[in-house]
Amino acid sequence: MTAPLLALDGLSCRFGGLVAVGQVSFAVQPGEIFGLLGPNGAGKTTLFNLISGITPPSGGSVHWRGSTITGLPSHRIARLGIARTFQNLRLFGSLSCLENVLVGLHKRSRQPLIPALLGNGLFRRRQAQLEEEALALLRLLDLEPWAKQRAASLAYGDRRRLEIARALATGPELLLLDEPAAGLNPREKQELSALIRSIREQFNLSVLIIEHHVPLMMELCDRLAVLNFGERIALGTPEQVRRDPAVIEAYLGTSR
Amino acid sequence: MDAGLLQQMLLGALLGLSVYLPLRCGQLSLASPGFYAIGGTIAALLSTRLPALGGASATYPISSVLLEMGLAAALTGAIAAAIGSVVLRLRGIYLAIATIALVEILRVITLNLAITGGALGIFGIPQPFNGPEGYAFFTAALLALVCWLCDRLERTRPGLAMAAIRDDELAAASQGIDTAQIKLLAFVLSAVVAGITGVVAAHFLNSWNAKLGNFDASITTLAFVVLGGSRTWLGPVLGGLLLTALPEVLRPVGDLRLIVFGLVILLGPLLFPQGLISPERLQSLGRLWPGPKRLGRQAP
Ligand SMILES: Nc1ncnc2c1ncn2[C@@H]1O[C@H](COP(=O)(O)OP(=O)(O)OP(=O)(O)O)[C@@H](O)[C@H]1O
Ligand SMILES: [Mg+2]
Repeated sequence: MTAPLLALDGLSCRFGGLVAVGQVSFAVQPGEIFGLLGPNGAGKTTLFNLISGITPPSGGSVHWRGSTITGLPSHRIARLGIARTFQNLRLFGSLSCLENVLVGLHKRSRQPLIPALLGNGLFRRRQAQLEEEALALLRLLDLEPWAKQRAASLAYGDRRRLEIARALATGPELLLLDEPAAGLNPREKQELSALIRSIREQFNLSVLIIEHHVPLMMELCDRLAVLNFGERIALGTPEQVRRDPAVIEAYLGTSR
Repeated sequence: MDAGLLQQMLLGALLGLSVYLPLRCGQLSLASPGFYAIGGTIAALLSTRLPALGGASATYPISSVLLEMGLAAALTGAIAAAIGSVVLRLRGIYLAIATIALVEILRVITLNLAITGGALGIFGIPQPFNGPEGYAFFTAALLALVCWLCDRLERTRPGLAMAAIRDDELAAASQGIDTAQIKLLAFVLSAVVAGITGVVAAHFLNSWNAKLGNFDASITTLAFVVLGGSRTWLGPVLGGLLLTALPEVLRPVGDLRLIVFGLVILLGPLLFPQGLISPERLQSLGRLWPGPKRLGRQAP
């Protein structure tokens, strides 16, 4: 078996007296679509914040390709190849869709100082190249017609997809998706599921996805972990998780 | 137009740009008058105390002014880099308060040092030009250079990163942007622009004292950007030119001018919340008249 891409080891996060994430461990393998299930307030988003360096953990560690990345600032983690989307959509509202994706290309858009100052042919060619790359991502997510529009003016579903386009622009090896299907209609949910699979193939990446829609998760994910009150109560293939008594009681049992 | 007034307007535009740079990445810094005061003090001290610079000759050499500007840029840049790495951890109104405190500290130091002439300040700063026309030409060239640099900044990678930080700092960091570094860059550039502006102002005003960099100046320069707009460099330039000219233009109406001035500052943001100049407004202007189209494009 190959070394895991991402490994969490006893990761914890406390907010005052509340244990939002308690001693969570699991590993994501290269190429895997790994699901994170759990009721509201289970600590899923907090776990994403710990992995992406937004919240410092109060215990445990995060490993990326075998070396520890616990406590690194979020821009360093993003540069390593871990991209994320946000449950409550955090686009750059006053920028156009194209510019949002160009921001995602930040790591690779450095230009030599003199051509950038002069705005000469060299600079413009490179700039055109970057814009073409950003447009290709918008095309992939069916957003090309809105390239010049402000991100804040987009419809809800389009904004969700723009978050994915921007995350892909950072060139990730692991994509963290926080409830990408929230607020989408059933048809859009199906399309999203197909899209996530095709993204995995095309960009050769792994996906860690949070989603409440259980049938979609069962069909999409290679493996799943289930959180409840911050603790990992189950881990395994969709079939294993479906039959796990702890899961049935804590989560599926509530028949949501 | 009176060249002296024009010169003041150009200085106002430069100060507007200084406030604009941090604001464009969402950082409300009111430190510009502090760095302006440092620049002015450097110019006043060097030109009156260092005979080697040519203060005794009939016209002070331009090369000496440029040298002062270089020194002021280096010193204000270094101070901003040192202070910024601490102060920029503060957000919003807390950053504003910290930078006001910084301006006050600098003012009190200048007021109490013997070398800066205490409350009276430094007099008889040598003149590189014979009249205000020369100053206006020189300052217009300086303003053009700074505008050009701001324009390039807005069209390149750090400019886009600044806009991203302004919209959502946390999301910007999640795209791999070193937000602390970009904010520091904006803060240092802002300090350098204010510093070199102070050098020119000291010569133009002929005397320099601690009052020139105070809290009032912080608020006035902020008004330049609030009125003009903080989305693209043209906004603070226009705001600086207009609001510096307004009190002079209104002089005939007597004391009423203060009320009119206040009304403009109040009504401007109410009628134009984004400021007079925004990329969208420039774009729609550009459609009517193809000339300035390039200005608005790609200026997030
Ligand atoms: N910054 C914070 N400060 C204090 N408490 C927090 C903070 N962030 C999250 N929490 C708490 O931690 C717990 C876990 O929250 P989290 O957002 O991770 O849940 P979640 O599993 O993503 O839920 P949902 O499905 O509703 O998105 C909740 O009780 C929440 O109130
Ligand atoms: Mg959540």
